Amino acid sequence: MEIATLIIILVVALALFFDFTNGFHDTANAMATPIATGALRPKTAVALAAILNLVGAFLSTEVAKTISGGIIREDQISGDLFPPLIFAGLIGAITWNMLTWLLGLPSSSSHALFGGLIGATLVGFGLSGIDFGVVVSKVVLPALLAPLTAGIIAFILTRLAYSITRRYDGKPDGRDGFRWGQIFTSSLVALAHGTNDAQKTMGVITLALISVGWQSAEHHEPQLWVIVSAAAAIALGTYVGGWRIIRTMGKGLTEVKPAQGFSAETSTAATILASSHLGFALSTTQVASGSVIGSGLGRRGSSVRWKTAGRIFVGWVLTLPAAALVGALTALLVVWFGLAGVAIDAVLAILIILVLFLRSRKDSVHAGNAMHDVAQSDLAVSTTTTPPPTRRQRREAARDAARRAELEEVRRAAQLAAQQAVREELARAADKAAKAAADKAAKAAAEKAAKVAAEKAAKVAAKKASGKRSKK
Amino acid sequence: MTIDWLAFLQVFAAALVAGVAVVGFYALGLRLLARSGRIPVVAPAVFTDAIAVMTPKQIAKAQKQADKAARRSPLTEGQKQLALVGAYACFGVVVLAVIAGILLIVLG
Repeated sequence: MEIATLIIILVVALALFFDFTNGFHDTANAMATPIATGALRPKTAVALAAILNLVGAFLSTEVAKTISGGIIREDQISGDLFPPLIFAGLIGAITWNMLTWLLGLPSSSSHALFGGLIGATLVGFGLSGIDFGVVVSKVVLPALLAPLTAGIIAFILTRLAYSITRRYDGKPDGRDGFRWGQIFTSSLVALAHGTNDAQKTMGVITLALISVGWQSAEHHEPQLWVIVSAAAAIALGTYVGGWRIIRTMGKGLTEVKPAQGFSAETSTAATILASSHLGFALSTTQVASGSVIGSGLGRRGSSVRWKTAGRIFVGWVLTLPAAALVGALTALLVVWFGLAGVAIDAVLAILIILVLFLRSRKDSVHAGNAMHDVAQSDLAVSTTTTPPPTRRQRREAARDAARRAELEEVRRAAQLAAQQAVREELARAADKAAKAAADKAAKAAAEKAAKVAAEKAAKVAAKKASGKRSKK
Repeated sequence: MTIDWLAFLQVFAAALVAGVAVVGFYALGLRLLARSGRIPVVAPAVFTDAIAVMTPKQIAKAQKQADKAARRSPLTEGQKQLALVGAYACFGVVVLAVIAGILLIVLG
C-alpha cells in the first residue's frame, strides 16, 4: 500500500472519530432541555437524537462545501504534504476537544476542528495557505453573531410564549402542553445538528480526497460513502454520549420550564437551519447555549450571572486559538520528521483516544467533567421563584385594590350605620324601659295610695257604724 | 475581504420569522385548547434522577383544577367547538412551518 493511501485512510479514520466525538459531545445540545423538563425520557431522547442526526446528515451539503472550498487554499498547496497536515489538524482538534471535556471547560467541536486545521496549515504552508477573509466571514463572525442571534430570538420567543398563554383569572394556563411541542422542536434541533455538524467531517474528508486527486477540485460535493460514513459516525457518537446527559442536567438545567425549553429549541433549530442554508459553519453548542441564556432572560425576574457567563465566553474565545496551537504543534512534528512525524502523531492520537475511552468508562462524574455548555448556560441566568408582575397584572392588581378599598369603605360605612342604629335602638329601648318602670312605679304608688285611702275610708266607716250602734 | 452582512441579516430575519411563527402559533393553539375546555395536563416523564418531578397526587390535583376550570367556562358549546378548531388550525400551521423549513434545507 502506498504511503499516501495509508495517510488518507488515517485521515478518514481520524475524521470519522472526530465526528463520533462531536456527536458524543453534542447530544446535550438537542436533548438537554427536553430531558430537564421531563418532555422525554433520556433513553428515548438519545435514540431520537441519534436517528435524526443520521437523517440530518443527508439533508444538505452546504456547510461541507464551505469547509472544503474556502478556508484553506488547497489549490496552492502541494498534494503530498497536505493530507499529513489535515491529519495533524484533526489531532489538534480531537486533543483540544478531549482536554476541555476532561477539564470541564466550555468548548465548541466545530471551532476545535477549524482551529486545528488552521494551526496545521499555518505551520505547513505559512499565511498563504489560509484565506483569512473566508475565516473571518464564514467562521469567526458567525461564531460571534450566532449565539447572540440565537439568544435574542430565544428571548423574544420566550416572552411571546409566556404572554400568549398567561391567564389573569387564576385558572390553569395549560403551559404543560409545551412538553408535547418540545418533542418536535428538540427533534428539529437534532436534525439541524446532523445537517450542520456531520458536514464538517464530510468537508474535511473531501478536502483530503481533493488534495491527493481522488476527487476533482471543481466539485466540492462530498461523495456518497463520505456522507454515509460521517452520518453513521455522528449518529453513533450521539447515541453513545447519551449516558452523561442526565447527570449533566442535574447540575445545570434545573430552572428550565417547558415554555422556555420549547422557545430555546425553536430558536436553536431556526438559527442553525437558516445558517446551514446559507453555508455558515456554526457551532451548534454555542447556538444552543445562546438560546438557553436568551430564554432564561426571557422569564420575568431573571438576571445574568456574569461570572458564569464570562467563563463560558472565555471558553468560546479560547477554543479556536488553543486548538490551532495544538494543531500547529502536531504539524511541527510532521514538518520536522516527515513520515516519522505522522507516525508519532498517530501514536499520540491512539493515546488520546485510549485516555478518552478509559475516562468514559469511569462512572464517577463530577463538576469538573460532567458539565456541559448548555447546562452552564442555564446557570449563567438566575431566575426568581416569585417573578415581578407584568404591566397588566399590575393594572389588574391596582384595580382589585381599588375595588377592595371601595368595598371596605362601603362595609365600614354600613358598619357605622348599623352601630348607630343599634345605639339608637338601645337608647330607645332604655327610654321605653325607664318610662315603663316609671309608669309601673306610679301605678303601684297610685294603687297603694288608693288602697290606703280605701282602708282608711273603711276604718272611718266602721268607726261611724260602731258609734251609731252604741248610741242606740 | 468582503463580509456579506446581508447574509447575517437574512439568517436573523429568517430565524426570527420562523421562530415567531412556530412559537406564536403553538402558544396560541394551547391558549385556544384551554379556552375550549381541554386544558392540557402533561406530566413530566418519570425516570431516575429526573429534574421535573410531579407526584401522582400533584397530577391528580392539576387534572382536577383543569376539569373544574373547564366546567366553569363561560363559553357556549358552539364557542368551545370553535376554539378547538382554532387550536387544531394553529397546530397545523406549526407543522406546516416546520415542514417548510426542512424542505427549504433539502431543496437548497
